[in-house]
Amino acid sequence: MSMLRRFWGGLRALFTKWREDGALDEELRDFLEQRAAAKMRTGVSRQRALREARMEMGSMDSVKENVRAVGWETAFDSFWQDVRYALRMLRKSPGFTTVAVLTLALGIGANTAIFSVVYAVLLRPLPYANPNQIVSVFDSQVASPGPGGFSYPNFVQIRRQNTVFSEMVTNTLHQLTLTGVGEPTEVNTSSVTPGLFAVFEAKPFAGRTFLPSDNVQGAAPVVILSEALWRSRFGANPNLIGQSISLDKRPFTVIGIMPASFRFPLMLTDPNEVWIPLVDDPLFGPWMSRHGGHWARTIARIKPGVSLAQAQAEMDAISARLIKQSPAENAGWAIRLEPLQTTIVGGVRTPLLVLLGAVGLVLLIACANIANLLLSRATTRAREFAVRMALGAGRSRIARQLLAECALLGLLGGAAGILLAYWGVQSLRSLLPPDLPQLHTISVDLWVLLFAFLLSVTATLVFGLVPSLFAADSSLHSTLKENSGRSGEAGSHQRARSFLAAAQIAIAVVLLVAAGLLIRSFDRLVSTDPGFNPQHVIMANIALPQYQYSQPAQWAAFGRQSLAKIQSLPGMSDSALAVPVPIIDGFINLSFTIVGNPPVRPGEDLLADFVSVSPNYFHLMNIPLLRGRIFNEQDSMPASRVAIISEALARRYFPNQDPLGKSMKFGFPPDGNTSREIVGIVGDVHDLSFDHAPGPMMYVPFDQAPLWGEDVVVRSSLSTSAVAAEIRQATASIDKDLPVTNILSLPEALTADPSVAQPRFRTLLLALFGAIALLLAAVGIFGVISYSVSRRTHELGVRMALGAQPGAILKMVLRETLGLVLIGIAVGLPCALGASRLVTHLLFNVKSYDPLTLILAPLVLVAVGVLAGYIPARRAMRVDPMIALRYE
Amino acid sequence: MPVPPESRQSELVQGTLDMLILKTLALEPMHGYGIAMRIEQISKGVFQVNPGSLFPAFRRLERAGWLKCEWRATENNRRAKYYILTDVGRRQLKTETRAWGRQIAAIARILEAS
Repeated sequence: MSMLRRFWGGLRALFTKWREDGALDEELRDFLEQRAAAKMRTGVSRQRALREARMEMGSMDSVKENVRAVGWETAFDSFWQDVRYALRMLRKSPGFTTVAVLTLALGIGANTAIFSVVYAVLLRPLPYANPNQIVSVFDSQVASPGPGGFSYPNFVQIRRQNTVFSEMVTNTLHQLTLTGVGEPTEVNTSSVTPGLFAVFEAKPFAGRTFLPSDNVQGAAPVVILSEALWRSRFGANPNLIGQSISLDKRPFTVIGIMPASFRFPLMLTDPNEVWIPLVDDPLFGPWMSRHGGHWARTIARIKPGVSLAQAQAEMDAISARLIKQSPAENAGWAIRLEPLQTTIVGGVRTPLLVLLGAVGLVLLIACANIANLLLSRATTRAREFAVRMALGAGRSRIARQLLAECALLGLLGGAAGILLAYWGVQSLRSLLPPDLPQLHTISVDLWVLLFAFLLSVTATLVFGLVPSLFAADSSLHSTLKENSGRSGEAGSHQRARSFLAAAQIAIAVVLLVAAGLLIRSFDRLVSTDPGFNPQHVIMANIALPQYQYSQPAQWAAFGRQSLAKIQSLPGMSDSALAVPVPIIDGFINLSFTIVGNPPVRPGEDLLADFVSVSPNYFHLMNIPLLRGRIFNEQDSMPASRVAIISEALARRYFPNQDPLGKSMKFGFPPDGNTSREIVGIVGDVHDLSFDHAPGPMMYVPFDQAPLWGEDVVVRSSLSTSAVAAEIRQATASIDKDLPVTNILSLPEALTADPSVAQPRFRTLLLALFGAIALLLAAVGIFGVISYSVSRRTHELGVRMALGAQPGAILKMVLRETLGLVLIGIAVGLPCALGASRLVTHLLFNVKSYDPLTLILAPLVLVAVGVLAGYIPARRAMRVDPMIALRYE
Repeated sequence: MPVPPESRQSELVQGTLDMLILKTLALEPMHGYGIAMRIEQISKGVFQVNPGSLFPAFRRLERAGWLKCEWRATENNRRAKYYILTDVGRRQLKTETRAWGRQIAAIARILEAS
């Protein structure tokens, strides 16, 4: 209560200060008058009485000062005075202010921008209720743990037997074509078990979610829409529930609409999506009764109060039961739990933290720069402070004023940094690899702003504290005694400045080495030969409505028909079908057996990538035939089944044998047990990504193993858009409702592939940070050396007057520079070696102690450092001894 | 330096000025000079009150809500700022007086004991 009153009193006083002052004046004068009047009554003259009264009272101003000092508002007053004074000082040296604010803005802006990404991707909890209860449930091979799925019967058993999950859901993602409302378009379709919405504790915005009865064979097809799709495609029609929409030309009844806040799966950037029961999934629906296979990706919510370890223990027990039950299917596999957050952000965690660390080092260099500037200012201002102290200013008062200057710099830098961060986040968004989770939520929000503010306060403390620590020994007496502020710098100051400059160099070494390693690694990555020639190749995806074209014979027929049409188009030098296209489409990994070999033990399946292609594919992609023959038109359905294998497969599974003429049993379900004769061996292709070694691959003729959709690849000298238009037209002439999507030029698509885009992103940023570090370190060296030169003008003048050659002076200054740089490198290089271990698994084909980088980075620093020292050194060389000697 | 008119004059005991002001005002509202005079008179000139500490004390007590002030006409028809004890101030005076009494008694006991 009384605190509040004091606060209000002070606040009122602040605004009525002039009036209160007037009142106080009057009151004091009145007091004096009365005192004097009392004295006059004892018989003294009025004059004497007044004088005595005044003397008793002392200085009226000091009384007033004391009265004012009672309230807290005086502290505010003097603070305000400090700020105004600081502003004036900063305005008086615009060069210093600009450099300091810009340096700080660069540091804080870069940090804030990177933090906004780190926050959105790594720190912000998943946008679901109690997100830490949600886990990924993997069926993973004991020998090589991976993020596998279950067979549906296994999923059902785990769901029924466990006591630790409140709900479990399996989901797969497809693109189905929405027709009947505007242009045919593909929408992301998640086929899920009914528990999805219970796992995420999400409620529909209208209608209902799935019931167990929606997911049984023969149930009427139902669909739940996202709010975004409901608005964009159905004009937010309030009566849509109960109506029918067409997906892949099959009618689905709309039962619910999920609010825009619900997103699943999270990595989708397009909010237009639908959810259907798993039983309606065109591919996996029929597989639900089948044992074996690892396709049902699973997510579960752990019951409140159950720990991850407890849940894992129960999964181990269930896993053991499953193996006992059907060893052939389950031996060698184990159930593995992982928080969903880890599953989603696991891959980008290290690179993002490395970037955050790097950008933190940039800020540290920036702070060192500003501290250096402040130190040299403190030296030149030593006399100003000495004079003020002699006039009665307290040490604390001066310290407070210096602090105000630093704080003002910090806040100005922070504000400019936030502006920079806004701009930086905009450009980061276009730079970020598109598969970064939660990409759409990256923004400069409240938390990020708070971070920026804390950062500028911390930075202020760092660069503000350093000069005051080193300046503590400057005593009033010695400073005033010096003839000139110039030669009065204490030796400790110069040492501090040199120390800061060397520290900057050391940090810059760390950043340059890290940047150099990433650049070398990225260079190796993009110069990797993918095993095919992507130049002038354009691909397009044609999705067949999966319910209409349900028979493999239909797929094959459509493939032949579309290929014939496209081949006859003008401007196509070559065309072929392929599913999947390497790297861009990912891969289909299938197990196979070699006819005549003993059966493999469970859990030790032979695995290879399955690719279905038309005969011309190898020629079009420039994949070399090593032995045997490629497919021809005779390799169609009634003829005997054939296959082509890659060199890696031949080497790994047919050691010291001739694979030609042997047979393998494999195929896309339900063709799994078809025997195919190996007729050729082709060169290896990077199937998964540039940074994974080519895996074993097996090719089959599209005619003998068609899929329900196809990728058309063409080699053409026409532009991508021209080719796209032609393919669209050709496809529409077969079936006007078929969408042609994903039309990409292969070189562009490969550049955008996450296995290239993510390294490019981090390499670009780290290179940028390295460059900034280099620049700031150069500025630091320049500052120290030029200051040291100007301080020694007198000395240099004497030397030259005594006959020193300009060359010798130049050498002397450069030696000083080189000394600083070398000390920095000597300290920085071991640190860089330690830090480079952190980036080891971001490196591709480059060792963390890559000699070239470790030699080049310091050399660059030496070159830049010497250059930065050369400019002041030249000035030193041109010192005119006459002027220099008269200078003081 | 003003020479003290009487040798037995003395400085106020630290921290008692506030209490003395409150006590003075407990009788009636008064202006600054009047309060100083009253303290000097009642203490028979033992305590001389310096304006340098008197006026800050007014401001302090005012901020604490123990005093409020009002411009009024004085006995000789001049305008002066009168200080008035608030209810909170009256309670404060009571507690301070009680605390003071305890302290005095304690000090006396210590002095007698030696």
